[in-house]
Amino acid sequence: MSKPETKTINQKIADLNQQVEWFYSDDFNLDKATNKYKTALALASEIKRDLEGLKNQIEIIAKDFSKE
Amino acid sequence: MSETGIKFTVSEFIAVVNQTLDYAYPQVTLEGEVASFKINQNKWVFFDLKDETASLGCFMPLFQLRQPIADGMKVILTGTPKLTNWGKFSFTVQRIMPVGEGSIKKSFELLKAKLEKEGLFDPAKKRPLPPDLASVGVISSTAAAGYADFIKIINERWGGLKIKVAHTGVQGLSAADQIIRAIKYFNEQREVQIIAIIRGGGSADDLAVFNDEQLVRTIAASRIPIITGIGHEVDESLCDLAADLRGSTPSNVAQMLVPDRQAEIIHLTNNIRHLKAYLLNQIDLAINELTRLATDSQRQILSLITTTLAEISQARQTLSALNPERILKQGYAILSGRISPGSVVKITTHRQIINAEVQDVQARN
Repeated sequence: MSKPETKTINQKIADLNQQVEWFYSDDFNLDKATNKYKTALALASEIKRDLEGLKNQIEIIAKDFSKE
Repeated sequence: MSETGIKFTVSEFIAVVNQTLDYAYPQVTLEGEVASFKINQNKWVFFDLKDETASLGCFMPLFQLRQPIADGMKVILTGTPKLTNWGKFSFTVQRIMPVGEGSIKKSFELLKAKLEKEGLFDPAKKRPLPPDLASVGVISSTAAAGYADFIKIINERWGGLKIKVAHTGVQGLSAADQIIRAIKYFNEQREVQIIAIIRGGGSADDLAVFNDEQLVRTIAASRIPIITGIGHEVDESLCDLAADLRGSTPSNVAQMLVPDRQAEIIHLTNNIRHLKAYLLNQIDLAINELTRLATDSQRQILSLITTTLAEISQARQTLSALNPERILKQGYAILSGRISPGSVVKITTHRQIINAEVQDVQARN
């Protein structure tokens, strides 16, 4: 079974921007708008959660650079 | 003359003296002023290191000279003392760096001119920040204040990054080699998208390591883009010039690498708020349009009904005018049946139906 796709915050933000652009494009129509708005709202909430909660993963490399 | 102590040949004695020197002084650090600097056969460097009262002959291979040196410069160097086979006392230099603001500045300008000529600082070769940054390699001393500032700011501003830290010296004679090894390590591992070289503020002597020729060349040759945050805004090093990007301080590097999460959250919230308002406006527009269409349709239907009713009324009036009963009321009668003498015809009046016999039929003129 393949792993679920994990996206970075930047990728999620890019996705959201793309979703928002649809509303201002010629493709916009009211029939699809409500569902698309709900999807965008859910993604925005997810990004906000990520932004507030995600920590950086800091690793000190074990190698001793003072030696050749 | 009486012979006392150990007897050596000259070669043996020189070897023993060198062994003793090696044991007693495996590595010595000296500071002094350079005099009689010269390069022989483009391979060997000779100069005297002196202070007010003494002078020491020094020697080193040219490839180990990492920053330009000239007569009159103050330098710090490490190396080992040695007695040559010709009985001359010499100091073999392993590393040398200018010290003092004047010497550092002079060395900086000489090397800058040389490397600039080679195109190492060419703005056209600079690479931008990688898009969608997810991994950063940091080269710094983890004990340094500059490193702490960088980590604090980057953690405050953003999350989800993989930050790999190569702990190295950031000042002193051995720091340049350590940083070079760290850059090469990151280039071999290929695990990070950008390398940040971080070092907080310090004196000109502290920051002199960032003018090391080999370090500058390694930065210029790195396949992974490099950003530097060395010292303060006013401290310009050759490493800064060779790097793809330069932050004025370690904190500024963190600001350049990642956006501010709070600003991003505000932007996100505003975006959704505007989107909601836009969508509601679109719904209002659609409702208005539907209302207008419905009103138009209603008006058209009413108009059609009115016209039809008028037509019906007109038709009724016409029909009414043509109604035979109305003519009978005016005193006329309808005669039906065969018109010939002796036959019976039917006469219909407004109030009566009369059967009458035809007596005579004459044509009218």
